[in-house]
Amino acid sequence: MAELVLDGVTKYFDDDGDRIVAVDDASIDIEDGEFLVLVGPSGCGKSTTLRMIAGLETISEGEIRLDGTVINDRAPADRNIAMVFQSYALYPHMTVRQNMSFGLEESTSMGDSEIGQRVEDAADTMDIPELLDRKPSELSGGQQQRVALGRAIVRDPEVFLMDEPLSNLDAKLRSSMRTELQRIQEELGVTTVYVTHDQTEAMTMGDRIAILNDGRLQQVATPLEAYHEPANEFVAGFIGDPSMNFFDATVADGALATDQFDYPLSEATLSDLGGATDVTLGVRPEDIEIVPEASSDHDFAATVDVVEPLGNENNVYLQFDADDTDETFTAVVDATTPLSAGESVTARIPEETVHVFDADSGEALHNRDAEANGVLLGQ
Amino acid sequence: MSRDIRRVGLYAVLVALVAFYLAPLEIGLVTSLKTDALASAPFLPPGPSGFTLDEWATAFDALKDGLVNSVLLAVPATVLSALLGSMAAYGLTTLDWRGQVGVFALFLAGIFIPYQAVLIPLSKFWSVYMPLDEILWPLWQLPVLASYHGDLLALIISHAAYGVPICTLLFRTYYRDISTEMVEAARLDGATAYTIYRRIILPLSVPMFAVTLIYQFTQVWNDLLFALVIMGPGEGAPVTVGLTNLGSSLTDVGFAVKMAGAFMAALPTIIVYVIFGDQFAKGVAT
Repeated sequence: MAELVLDGVTKYFDDDGDRIVAVDDASIDIEDGEFLVLVGPSGCGKSTTLRMIAGLETISEGEIRLDGTVINDRAPADRNIAMVFQSYALYPHMTVRQNMSFGLEESTSMGDSEIGQRVEDAADTMDIPELLDRKPSELSGGQQQRVALGRAIVRDPEVFLMDEPLSNLDAKLRSSMRTELQRIQEELGVTTVYVTHDQTEAMTMGDRIAILNDGRLQQVATPLEAYHEPANEFVAGFIGDPSMNFFDATVADGALATDQFDYPLSEATLSDLGGATDVTLGVRPEDIEIVPEASSDHDFAATVDVVEPLGNENNVYLQFDADDTDETFTAVVDATTPLSAGESVTARIPEETVHVFDADSGEALHNRDAEANGVLLGQ
Repeated sequence: MSRDIRRVGLYAVLVALVAFYLAPLEIGLVTSLKTDALASAPFLPPGPSGFTLDEWATAFDALKDGLVNSVLLAVPATVLSALLGSMAAYGLTTLDWRGQVGVFALFLAGIFIPYQAVLIPLSKFWSVYMPLDEILWPLWQLPVLASYHGDLLALIISHAAYGVPICTLLFRTYYRDISTEMVEAARLDGATAYTIYRRIILPLSVPMFAVTLIYQFTQVWNDLLFALVIMGPGEGAPVTVGLTNLGSSLTDVGFAVKMAGAFMAALPTIIVYVIFGDQFAKGVAT
């Protein structure tokens, strides 16, 4: 078991003399037994970060420490790390048993019977003992996934690295494997770094999530912190589905003036802004309420553009009546509220749910009042 | 209805192609079995009184040493160039090191050097600078071995070297499709560059080995130019050299014996193709 520390880790590639920064000064402390999810859009540097931890990519600057020991220059095999690849990367000419034994044969001096025993145990954990004598080509995608995980756990490593391991599975299998993976990780208590572009996976699986964009670490936080107290506009927009609505605004006379509406702010919120004038107002779709009639200055007339029924709730795309562009914003509304396209409604944006970001830097100036929403952070 | 007509058309074309490719073989075979090759039309089988295996016996007597030499030459040369080509391709494709592009360019250039261009330097090299039959003289005192095996060795090395570039290219295209994640997984599993080759890459290369083995074997087996120049018509001459001398006399063209000899000389390449055919198809398909 081990604590994994990334200290100012930077990776740049040389592209005909141009230096391309893939990962810029990332520092994360991953505690022993923690499940950390690295999440971000494609090309944000999350896979490169993982590959640097694995030793498949050199580290341009900074240090990676495992239990206090710098492992920058250690060969991948000597890091006591096991990795699960997106493509599973099973050896096609070997049986499942041989696939799982390979690492032990190559990296340890264990005898055949001990290796055999450990393979059987790992196969039991992954619930695949009946597949041991089959070849990967005879397995379904889900089974191959289990073998790939089994190959990682049989090594009994200090750290698991997983590179989008569920992205090749169909939706149903993915959600059941998600639970299964968490169960196994908890059972084994192995420090895990998990890379994904899927914010649902990040939210549901991680003890903490690290959000990356353009090679820069945006925020490292628990899923709920990232959701309720995003460090900046990028995190706010990336975490949560559907995405947060953003409105460009200027601060004038104690209110936010946007193209579509004027939004009065309380003294407490105003003081958070610290004199910033150009800001972005953010509000999550699930916080927008549809009310029978306008009764406060946070209620605005809008027209329903499209309704996406999800069963228990509807994603509703709305357009402010005061807006002469085609832009819509999203609200998540309980399915018991019947709405149809073209209907005129009143949308309420409660002030305790709004986020305000600096328009230039994207930094969060004011986050929603989490306590007022009955959410306990930090658990 | 129109589908049936199309089917008939397809089979007609296929039968015509079979006839086209088999006709020379058939003519050669029936000619080799006739007492008088010129007595009837070439493609007709011999009549009951005109049938003989004498020509085959004559051809076999004349060529049997050559056949043995050809096997001694072609098998090691083929295996060597396939194996070295596979290793080179692995080093140039799957591993990552400085300057590999330049080295690969040299390999590519090697494919396009014509035999004729190196003929004289090569024969000079083997006869003057590296006369293996003299250098390795203690070996020839051993039973079975003889000094002409030195010439065969020179020929094996020449063919192997000439075959490595094209084999490397073939293996390289194959290895480029091998998943890099799988090789990385093996590295994380603790395998060294050598064990990755031996335990992962080599077992996965079987179809491409079939392709290179068939191709190289046919090349080396059928070669006459190197054999003539490096070896000449001596004890160690491969079957192709023997075949050129077969059935030539001032009085008779010797069609029958030539045909029997040609058949005999071609047989091993056909056998190799049959043995590796399935894997060959797999290798070509990828």
